[in-house]
Amino acid sequence: MLKMASSFPEEVLEHVFSFLQSDGDRNSISMVCKSWYEIERWCRRRIFVGNCYAVSPRILIRRFPDVRSITLKGKPHFADFNLVPEGWGGYVYPWIVALASAYPWLEEIRLKRMVVTDESLELIAKSFKNFKLLVLSSCEGFSTDGLASIAANCRNLQELDLHESDVEDLSGRWLSHFPDTYTSLVSLNIACLGSEVSFSALERLVGRCPNLRSLRLHRAVPLDRLSNLLHRAPQLVELGTGAYSAELRPDVLSNLSSALSACRELKSLSGFWDVVPTYLPAVYSICPGLTSLNLSYAIIQSPDLIKLVSQCPNLQRLWVLDYIEDVGLDALAVSCKDLRELRVFPSDPFVLEANVSLTEQGLISVSEGCPKLQSVLYFCRQMSNEALITIARNQPNFTCFRLCIIEPRTPDYLTLEPLDVGFGAIVEHCKDLTRLSVSGLLTDRAFEYIGTYGKKLEMLSLAFAGDSDLGLHHVLSGCDNLRKLEIRDCPFGDKALLANAAKLETMRSLWMSSCSVSYGACKLLGQKLPRLNVEVIDERGHPASRPESLPVEKLYIYRSVAGPRFDMPNFVWTMDENSALRLT
Amino acid sequence: MGLRTTAHSSSSSIDSSNHPDLDDLLPKPSGSSSSSLPHKIKINGGTICRNSSRSTHTRTDLSTDLRLGLSISPSHHSDLSSTTSSPSREEALLNWPPIKSILRSTLSGKADNYHHQNSSLFVKVYMEGIPIGRKLNLFSHDGYNALITTLSLMFKTTILCPHDNHVHSEKYHVLTYEDQEGDWMLVGDVPWEIFLTTVKRLKITRADRC
Repeated sequence: MLKMASSFPEEVLEHVFSFLQSDGDRNSISMVCKSWYEIERWCRRRIFVGNCYAVSPRILIRRFPDVRSITLKGKPHFADFNLVPEGWGGYVYPWIVALASAYPWLEEIRLKRMVVTDESLELIAKSFKNFKLLVLSSCEGFSTDGLASIAANCRNLQELDLHESDVEDLSGRWLSHFPDTYTSLVSLNIACLGSEVSFSALERLVGRCPNLRSLRLHRAVPLDRLSNLLHRAPQLVELGTGAYSAELRPDVLSNLSSALSACRELKSLSGFWDVVPTYLPAVYSICPGLTSLNLSYAIIQSPDLIKLVSQCPNLQRLWVLDYIEDVGLDALAVSCKDLRELRVFPSDPFVLEANVSLTEQGLISVSEGCPKLQSVLYFCRQMSNEALITIARNQPNFTCFRLCIIEPRTPDYLTLEPLDVGFGAIVEHCKDLTRLSVSGLLTDRAFEYIGTYGKKLEMLSLAFAGDSDLGLHHVLSGCDNLRKLEIRDCPFGDKALLANAAKLETMRSLWMSSCSVSYGACKLLGQKLPRLNVEVIDERGHPASRPESLPVEKLYIYRSVAGPRFDMPNFVWTMDENSALRLT
Repeated sequence: MGLRTTAHSSSSSIDSSNHPDLDDLLPKPSGSSSSSLPHKIKINGGTICRNSSRSTHTRTDLSTDLRLGLSISPSHHSDLSSTTSSPSREEALLNWPPIKSILRSTLSGKADNYHHQNSSLFVKVYMEGIPIGRKLNLFSHDGYNALITTLSLMFKTTILCPHDNHVHSEKYHVLTYEDQEGDWMLVGDVPWEIFLTTVKRLKITRADRC
C-alpha cells in the first residue's frame, strides 16, 4: 500500500489531499510517511490554532509555507465571564508581524478572545494583497480607527465580523472609509458597536455590494432606517436589526413589512434591541423561511414570543430570554419540529426569586417535542433529577448540554437530593455528548458518572460542585476525549491533579480558579512536565510570598511546543525548571 | 467537618526531603482505568491533619503523598476560603451566573426596576504609556480611597489622593476621568455617587503633566 502510494506523482497526491477539509484528517495523512508529510505541509492552506501560546508563529511558518487562512484563539473560555484578569495576554500583534512577512497571500484571519491593537489592524490592511475575511470574535484592544484602515485598504474584503468584540468606539466615521469603488462585501457584522454611523454611507455601501448576504447592524441604527437598507439588499440571507423601535407611525410599520417581505431569502434574524412589540408583525411574512432567530437582546413577553415562534415551522436555532416561559417553550415544541439548538438566557440573573415562570418543565417539553434537538444552553432556577432523567431519555441526540441553575449548589427541588443521578442520566443516555456544563448541588458521585459515561466529552465546565479530589480524579481518569476542562470554585486540589498529570498532556487546556491547588503542586507539575505550560495567576502578588501549601488563585495549564511565553503580566508566573530551582 | 486547618490536609507523615520521581508515579493516560482507582486513591476522611504547624512542610507532604499512593481527604472549601484571601462568596458570585458581559450589560441596562446588589459598572482604565486598558468594576468600591488603592496596586504606581496637595513630580500620578460630555476632569471633583453616574473611563496621568 505504502509502496503504491509513494509511486503516485506528488501532484496527484496533492490533488487528492485537497479534498480533505478537516484539520484532523490533514493531521492524520501527514503522519503516514515522510513524503506525505512533505506534500501535505506544502499544500495546507487552512490552519486552526486553538491556543495562540501552544505554538509559535515561527514553528507554524516553518512547517506550513503557503497558508491562506488562519484561525487563532487567545484567552481561556472563562474570559467570557470575567474570570481572566484584564491584561492576561493573548496579543495578536507578534502573530500578524510574522504572518505578514511569511504569507503575503493570506486571505482570511479569524481571531477569538485576542487582544488586537489598531497597529495590528493597520498591518493587516497593508500587508495582505488579496485579503478577504476578518473575524474578530470576543476580541478587544482596538478602536474604530483600526477598522477604518481595514475599510480603506482591503479592496477585496468579503467579510468583516466584529462578533461580540469590545471595540473602543471613537466615531462612526470609519464606515465611510470603504472606497466608492468597493463592491465585494458579503458579510458585515457591527452589532457590538455603539456610535452612530453615517446612514447615507451605510446605505450606499449596502446598495453597491450585490453579493451582500449577511448584515448585522448595531443598536444605533433606528428602525425607520431599516426599510431603506432592505430595499437596497433584497438578497439578504441574514439580518441583524438595529434598535427595533421608533416613534409610533403607521408608515414605519407598513414600510418595514413590505421591505422585509421582499427579502425572500432571509433565513436568520437577530438584533431587536429596545423592541416595541407593536412592530413585530412586520417580520411575520418571512417567518416561514426562518431557520435562525436570536432574540437574546429582545425583551418580548411570552404572548408575543408565542405568536412569533408559532409562525416559524422551519426554525433550527432559537436564542431567547426567559421571558418565553414554560408556556412559550410548550408552543415551540408544538410548532418547531426542526429545532436543533435552543439557548434560554436569564433576563434577570442577579436576583434569586424568579421573575418569570420558567422551570425544568419548559426544557422537558422541548425535549419531547423537538426530535432533532442537539444543543441546549438553559438558565433556570429549579431542576429535579426526575426532569433530567426524562430529558435524557427523550433526547439521546444531545451533543451539547449546558445547564445553569442560577443559585449555586441548588439541590433537586423536589427531593432536596443532589442532582448527581440526573446529570448521570444525561451522560449515560447521550452517547455523543461532546460539551457539558453542570450546575446545582453535585457530589463526587456525579463526576463518577461523568468519568464513566462521558467518553466523547471534549469540553467540560464545572462550578461550585463536587466535594473532594475524588471528583476531579473521576473526570481526569475517565473522560478519554477531554480536551478542555474549566473549573471554578470546586474543592479539587493537588492529589487528583498530580495523580493524573500525564492526562494533561493529552488535553488542550485546564483552567482552575478558586479551587484548592497549592503553589507547591503547581511547581511540581511545571518541573516534571516540561511540555506543559503551568501558569499561576494571582493578583495578590507572587505566590512564593505565601506558604506553598496555600492554594493559588487561578491556574491555567496548557500543552505547548513553543515553551513558556514571554509576555506575561506581573500577576502571571510560569512554573518551569527555574521556578523549581528556586524551590530548593 | 469544619476544620480550619489546611488546603492540603494530608494524613501522611513527613519522612524525607528527597523527591520521588514523579514520572514513575504518574499513571499513563491511556492505561489508567477507573477500576484501578481504589488502589491509587481512597477517601480517608478520618485522618485529616489537625496540626496547623504542618503547613510549613507541604513540599514534603506532597511528595510523600505521591509516594504512598495516598489518601484523599475531603477538603472543605468554605473553610479553605476563610483561611486564605481568596475571593469572598459575594465576590465569587460577581462573575456568576456565566453570562457574557455584552449580554450582561444589555440586561443590567434595562432591568432598572430591580435593585441589584451584585450589579456591576465596568469602566476602562488607561495609564499613560501603556497601550492596553484594563477593566474595573466601580461598584465594587465604596469611594475614592478604595478606587485609588485598587488602581495603585493594579498599575504598581503611587496615585495621589484627590485631597492631597498637588505635587508636580514625575514620580507621582493623578487619576482623571472622562465625563459624559467628553471632558477630562480630575477625579474627586464631585461626590462619589455623582461620579458614578457621569464617569465614562479613567486615565492615570503623570502629576507633572497636569
